Amino acid sequence: MGNASVSTSSVSIHAPEDRLRPRRVRVADGHLADALAGRAFLLLDGAMGTQLQAAGLEAGALPELLCLTDPGAVTAVHAAYVAAGSEVVTTNTFGANASKLGGAAGVGEVFSAAVACARAARPRYVAADIGPSGSLLQPLGTLSFDDAYDLFAEQVRAADAAGADLFVIETMADLAEAKAAVLAAKENSDLPVLCTMTFGEDGRTFLGTTPEVAAATLSALGVDALGINCSLGPDEVAPLARRMLGWAACPVVVQANAGLPSVVDGRTTYSIGPDEYCRAVGRMLEAGVTIVGGCCGTTPEFVRAERALLDAREPVSHVASSDFCVASAQRLVSLAAGEVGVIGERINPTGKRRLKEALRAGDHDYVMGEAIAQTRAGAEVLDVNAGLPEIDEPATLVRLVGELQAVSSCPLQVDSADPLAVEAAVRSYPGKPIINSTNGKASSLEAIVPIARHYGCALVGLALDEGGIPATAQGRADVAARIVRAADAAGIRRADVLVDCLTMAVSTDQSQGRTILEAIRLVKSQMPGVRCVLGVSNVSFGLPFRELLNATFLAAAFGAGLDLAIINPLNERLMDAVAAWRVVNAQDEGAAGYIGAYAGRAPAAGTTRAASSAAEPPAAGQKASPGDQTPERRAAELVIAGRRGPMPEVTEALLAEHDAMYVIDQVLIPALDEVGERFERGTFFLPQLMASAEAAKAGFETIRARSAAGSVPSKGKVALCTVRGDIHDIGKNIVRMLLENYGYQVIDLGRDVEPQAFVDCIVRNGIRLAGLSALMTTTVPAMAETIALLREQAPECKVMVGGAVLNPEYARMVGADFYAKDAAESARIAAEVLG
Amino acid sequence: MTGMVEDFDIPSVDRGEVLRYLGHAGQDIPPDLDARIDDAVARCMEVARPRGVTRVFDVDLPSSSPGRVALAGAALTLDGRDISAHLGGATAAGLLAVTLGIGIDRELRLLSATDPLAQVVLDAAATALVERAADAAEALLVGEAASRGLFANDRYSCGYGDFPLDEQRSFVSTLDAGRLLGLGLTPSNLLVPTKSVTAVLGMFGEPQPGMPALCPKCHCHDFCTIRATGRTCRG
Repeated sequence: MGNASVSTSSVSIHAPEDRLRPRRVRVADGHLADALAGRAFLLLDGAMGTQLQAAGLEAGALPELLCLTDPGAVTAVHAAYVAAGSEVVTTNTFGANASKLGGAAGVGEVFSAAVACARAARPRYVAADIGPSGSLLQPLGTLSFDDAYDLFAEQVRAADAAGADLFVIETMADLAEAKAAVLAAKENSDLPVLCTMTFGEDGRTFLGTTPEVAAATLSALGVDALGINCSLGPDEVAPLARRMLGWAACPVVVQANAGLPSVVDGRTTYSIGPDEYCRAVGRMLEAGVTIVGGCCGTTPEFVRAERALLDAREPVSHVASSDFCVASAQRLVSLAAGEVGVIGERINPTGKRRLKEALRAGDHDYVMGEAIAQTRAGAEVLDVNAGLPEIDEPATLVRLVGELQAVSSCPLQVDSADPLAVEAAVRSYPGKPIINSTNGKASSLEAIVPIARHYGCALVGLALDEGGIPATAQGRADVAARIVRAADAAGIRRADVLVDCLTMAVSTDQSQGRTILEAIRLVKSQMPGVRCVLGVSNVSFGLPFRELLNATFLAAAFGAGLDLAIINPLNERLMDAVAAWRVVNAQDEGAAGYIGAYAGRAPAAGTTRAASSAAEPPAAGQKASPGDQTPERRAAELVIAGRRGPMPEVTEALLAEHDAMYVIDQVLIPALDEVGERFERGTFFLPQLMASAEAAKAGFETIRARSAAGSVPSKGKVALCTVRGDIHDIGKNIVRMLLENYGYQVIDLGRDVEPQAFVDCIVRNGIRLAGLSALMTTTVPAMAETIALLREQAPECKVMVGGAVLNPEYARMVGADFYAKDAAESARIAAEVLG
Repeated sequence: MTGMVEDFDIPSVDRGEVLRYLGHAGQDIPPDLDARIDDAVARCMEVARPRGVTRVFDVDLPSSSPGRVALAGAALTLDGRDISAHLGGATAAGLLAVTLGIGIDRELRLLSATDPLAQVVLDAAATALVERAADAAEALLVGEAASRGLFANDRYSCGYGDFPLDEQRSFVSTLDAGRLLGLGLTPSNLLVPTKSVTAVLGMFGEPQPGMPALCPKCHCHDFCTIRATGRTCRG
């Protein structure tokens, strides 16, 4: 665990054709089949932990071990629920994963004993209970998706071997973890899977997932039932369950707590009894919930009351929405028929020099910046493409998709021609992504459609096939029909299929404009429910003032029925067209959004916003005052004062009279040295040092933008990371900032970095100085390990270390060449090593 | 198994405290920077959701030994010379876990890519805030001690002195903080969300020497539940 490197090892557990084959569920009997089809109620059980604690279980003890040490006590709890009318009892295995058991017992023996305890109570069905791993997954935690999958897969195989009838994956707060568990269940067993998540009063899980997101994602993943457990009392859960029903194509489960807890005389008690609980459950049954039970604080009395309630009722069917929907872990993006959405196109290296460089160097912060800027500009989905011939596309795509979750709430569109890359990326994606793309070629449909179905993705199909792009609108619609048939056959819902009719340049064939619009109309009328997606900017290729043509074509395409536009959301003219269309199609209700954004706006438009989200317009009073000062002095003073706003202007003035090297060596570096000295003397504190670094950076960026590529020489490369197991990155970020300003090219591998991944980067890039950061005594050994590996595989590379717990002795002990007590010191070390 | 989760209403953090975390020692702060510090602190207050759980256990004297304190009804022993000294003579122990939630981690991550200066300031503000949340949880335990006729000392956390960081795992499970607060652990026993604190304090039959003599000087002052009753934690 704690593995930051990307591995697709678990993907290779089964051959792809095995894993992606349509799932045939093994259902114990006809009643369970009816329940999983929503035609019959299913009654689960109530709390296990509450009952065991009442019997004297210590707080913090592993209740699962009782299956081995006191099976009679566990069976007694199950038996009480069976007697009260539970059809399904859930094994006492909530925390029975290898991580939580920690060697106290084997996963196999616990499940074997737990299923036996449950069977001994003679229930109709035994559900194997699977709870969270106890560790947070990457990117905010350190557990990798594959390691989480492995923990769950071990439980799934143990439960299946022990003779369980179904799985209950429950109390999930992290959608990534829920997905790992569901995939582990689907790929290692053919038993039915129920999956429930837990929500707070704000209607979100601890990690920010809403009921809609959970339902849309889990439903697309093909679980047999989904829902809510624990969380709150039934009255608070009821509205959340209703929100799930709208997006669930399977039965919905509710296992609420017995109201809200309070501590009376040191004991936790709950606010409501069985009757009140059942009144709320009754209202949920009316809304369409069909599988119920209880969670914390519920007892056999609650189940008995629920039994009576179910016996007196018939299941009410619910209808899931047929709207288009995709989701990140935090946000559902849905479009009813006729509504339009924006997919941001900027994370695609084609024709983007800076992005290519960033991807090659592994500098993902640049990519994160692009994502943040597009999100702020109003993109609803972000396209992610890492297709560069010289990089490992599957690994890069997986890493980007992972890291993007932490900085943008937009759902992602995984954009690759390589089925391996597509599968690796969508597998670990917490949410429901779009795959971009398949097409009408038989080979593509065979490779991509099963991936979309297995992982529950929406799918873009390009209207081209073995014969190329059909010239006519009907020709494209015919290819689209083939794609839709393949998706239909795989059971992918129509609204998850997005046809791209392919934009061509009107400068080469002017009839193409109308052809594309007509193709959209044909697809929408001949294949009801299917959606259309289109990248518009090709239309203007070879013509002047392209954004005007693009915006006009975009509006026409919306008129023809386009649902999702793949555009640059930083282009205001295009976003203006989107905002205006949303008034025309009544998506922007009462034109409130339009009025809010455009009231009082001057007619001059059509500029592209700066991509850098950190860019700051010069604020009032921040103008560089021309005065009597030389530009050299002004620039130096701005750096020392930490004022980045006026720096570009002043740097331009300097460049009008001097070359780039003069400005760097005679102006910026001396100013930074001065800042470093002040920091050393204590006349500056840390934020001042950083503000100065920002101001200098603004100067460097102006110089780079003005200079031809390669004309500003780099002083050498430095690689930085926070070591494995450590998730603190602030110190490292400050060092990076300063080193970049002194003219070094910094490759920042981020935090929680595997020793071998770091060394590989050093070797690949021929790096002579490495910087390692560790903040905790517990992660210092990982630092020593990384250095030992470096000595072995890159002996010429010098190593500096820093971080709160380090000191010169510690630095020597772990084998470092240098101890950097602060960021200013790291710049001095770099000068010593690299010059 | 669920206990009670408290939402803490903490309207502000002490700006001086935030500056102290930033290494400020009286330097002049330029106005631009001053405004950015204010913005980052405000953002921290907006994103953070300070919450916590507390629980009191009697000290299990027969099962305790020199260098080890056992608690009755909890699968947790507190090992080490320092924690034993801190809890020496206590009749009960109060455990707490607090967190600002995952939103702060997400914001820090976003700023790491876009604005490292703001990241540093927000990190400092969040550190100050989570300590305030721990003060609030501590105040609940001090109140609980008073209601039992006992006197609490200060909170003590894993990783202090020879009290091992590995105990973090037992704190999380004993308080059921995974389920109640969403707390997780890394393999190196760091808490995630990162702005989280666990701690333990002792409850004694006699007032403790370290107790503040004056209420306004007490770090629990703003969250005290005892003063309103006309008494103090000193009796």
